[in-house]
Amino acid sequence: MPELDAAPASDGTTGSHRESLSFDAVVVGAGPAGSAAALALTRAGRSVVLVERGPFPGSKNVYGGVVYGRVLDGIIPDWWEQVPVERWVVRRSTMTMTGSQSLSVDYRSQAWGAPPFNGMTTLRSQFDSWMAAQATRSGVRLLTSTVATGLLRDDRGRVIGVRTDRDGASLSAKVVIACDGVNSFLAKEAGMLPRAEASHYTLGVKEVLELPRGAIDERFGVRSHEGVDIEMLGCTRGIPGGGFLYTNAETVSVGVVVSLPHLAEAKVRPEELVAEVKDHPSIAPYLRGSSLREYSAHLIPEGGYDTMPPLAADGMLVAGDAAAMTLAAGLWLEGVNFAIASGFSAGQAVDRAIAAGDCSARGLASYRADLERQFVLADHKRLRKAPALILSDRVQQRYPGLICDLVEGMFTVTNPTPKLGGLRITRAAAAKHGVKLRELAADTVRGMRIFG
Amino acid sequence: MSTAPIADARPLIVACLRITDLRPVVDPLTGAVSRDAFAIGLSAADAAALEHALRAAEAWSGRVLAVAVGPAAIEPVLRDVMALGASVLRVPDDAAGTDHGYAVELGGGEHGLARTIAAALARIGTPTLVLCGDRSVDRGTGALPAFLAHELGAAQALGLVGLEVDRSSGGGHPLDGRPAALLGERRLDGGWRERLRVPLPAVCSVEGAGTRLRRATLEGALSAGAAPVPVEPPTATVGHRTPPVGPGSEDGPGSTHVGALRPFEPRTRVLPSPDSEDPRIRLLAMTGALVDHDPPTLIGPLGAVESADELLRFLVRHGYLDQPAVPDPTGTEAPR
Repeated sequence: MPELDAAPASDGTTGSHRESLSFDAVVVGAGPAGSAAALALTRAGRSVVLVERGPFPGSKNVYGGVVYGRVLDGIIPDWWEQVPVERWVVRRSTMTMTGSQSLSVDYRSQAWGAPPFNGMTTLRSQFDSWMAAQATRSGVRLLTSTVATGLLRDDRGRVIGVRTDRDGASLSAKVVIACDGVNSFLAKEAGMLPRAEASHYTLGVKEVLELPRGAIDERFGVRSHEGVDIEMLGCTRGIPGGGFLYTNAETVSVGVVVSLPHLAEAKVRPEELVAEVKDHPSIAPYLRGSSLREYSAHLIPEGGYDTMPPLAADGMLVAGDAAAMTLAAGLWLEGVNFAIASGFSAGQAVDRAIAAGDCSARGLASYRADLERQFVLADHKRLRKAPALILSDRVQQRYPGLICDLVEGMFTVTNPTPKLGGLRITRAAAAKHGVKLRELAADTVRGMRIFG
Repeated sequence: MSTAPIADARPLIVACLRITDLRPVVDPLTGAVSRDAFAIGLSAADAAALEHALRAAEAWSGRVLAVAVGPAAIEPVLRDVMALGASVLRVPDDAAGTDHGYAVELGGGEHGLARTIAAALARIGTPTLVLCGDRSVDRGTGALPAFLAHELGAAQALGLVGLEVDRSSGGGHPLDGRPAALLGERRLDGGWRERLRVPLPAVCSVEGAGTRLRRATLEGALSAGAAPVPVEPPTATVGHRTPPVGPGSEDGPGSTHVGALRPFEPRTRVLPSPDSEDPRIRLLAMTGALVDHDPPTLIGPLGAVESADELLRFLVRHGYLDQPAVPDPTGTEAPR
């Protein structure tokens, strides 16, 4: 029977030995990127400490979206049998709307509701804790409620660790991986992030509303663990951005994502935009009788490929949102999968660099090369012009009304007036919304080049 | 992992913690409490108790043991306590981690809980001082410290806002034979305070205000991060969560007996059936629909005298007073 020893109270340690504060790597931020990086390192036999400022992983994260888990196939076998999922998304709906109109393109696939699945709704407090648990089970040291307040450098300026807010004590490491999210202070301190440009960020505002499970099933036409993802365009008073509605098990997440400078310029409170989305005739019936459980807001780095910082410095890598790896390309709105992939690659790159004995930026360069070979930078590079098109004035302010009027013109029976041809309806709708057909054609070609 | 008594001459200071969901969701209809594993933590009062325990241990060169009754889900919080330099002990209580319903929750007596903790402590040593929060967040009554003092045969001082070692008696050490005591401070009505000299051994409960729990050092946090949490063997537990069965039971007289629980339902009243053959008329009579009701009366703003007159006129109008509401101008007759 092991003995219970009550230790002295003053020295802050529970054992007679002193903990080593030196590791192969310090990973800052126990989000998906950080946990994946730590997991990769510990599997390679490296000593890792994962520093999280919240009381538990996921406690500081805000995300109401869909997590696409395909990236986990190569990291956690049969992950779908363990992951804390709310619902598996089997319906994806893209809704173009005005204040009183909406056109939905609704796709459903039952294949997405069975292994190996496609996307899921999940709560970040649970998902991030699960990811971190994978890492700690492999040997990662998780340090919660601790803020990395700055970088440690050697006399040559190389990063050799981080300072913490626990009595100013430091953790030293061969490499620091900054996964500290959007507006990364560590990347800024390292000089890797240029001066923050507000136009590269959006503000996501989300409400979580409680609804009985049966009501969600009935209203959204799903069963059991099936879920729905609705993306909206034209619901933000012309402020570049969009809306979303996701089904969780017994809640729904509804909100908007809007351009930061345009929101400031419009002098609109973000919660007013969310209230308008909830009141829209196409959305309100879904939410009838729901009650507010949670309200949150968070910055999202949506600048894309051209706004990414350098990914490596001497003794330091950047991954996930800290490296602006959220993909906001209209049809595709993804972030967690990019974070996981970039974090895991960062961990592998650090392992290679330590093995080679070169943790300089040059020694860590395989990180970027790795990301370019896979979807992380390949998708970002291919879709680098998408944010500008999606957030352009015409797409945001004119096309939703044009599209809705066009469809309304097609479906409105005007007897006894004979039906108008499609071209005349298009011209009339375009004229009404101040769009020249030449501009429409140009944007179509532009979109084809980006997404085609 | 379990525990064994050890020979240690240092004074044992025990912090008795109630680790639970700090923001539980209570079903307004049934009273059922839902707990979230991510929201568990120390209440402000328990954190203050732990800090006072650490301070007492520093003053007496003692050792701190934090004891908590609960399921394995509370272990992350106990590791945070370990990071502060305290030893910890978890006394298993599977009932607290499972959904046994409100009845079991309600029937869980503090006396039984105190006996469970005292039994666990008996295997460690004799505490010089036991500190508790003055109440726990989940239906805590604040009665546990008193029961614990009874079980341990110790003095008690409850609801303290301040606690320090009494140095007026030569800085007495509890184990060196000299007088040793604590000075406690407690609120009184009217903003007054009273100071208590508390002999040892003692059980004290403290308020959450005015004392902030220290932060663990980086080394402490790292070493405690994955450390195993000692668990009291299940055989030593008394099973305080088992609903007692009434007077004469093992839990003794006065224990709580909880029967079946159900949502509140108003008592049924028998109403005479309306006197009509027509079901529509009966329905109207029962529901009061189409009956001429007095609309709400909005008057004012009025002064106090006018308001009183208006109320009296209302009472007369509805038959609650049988004389004119307006007072006799001579002032010789007042309404009843």
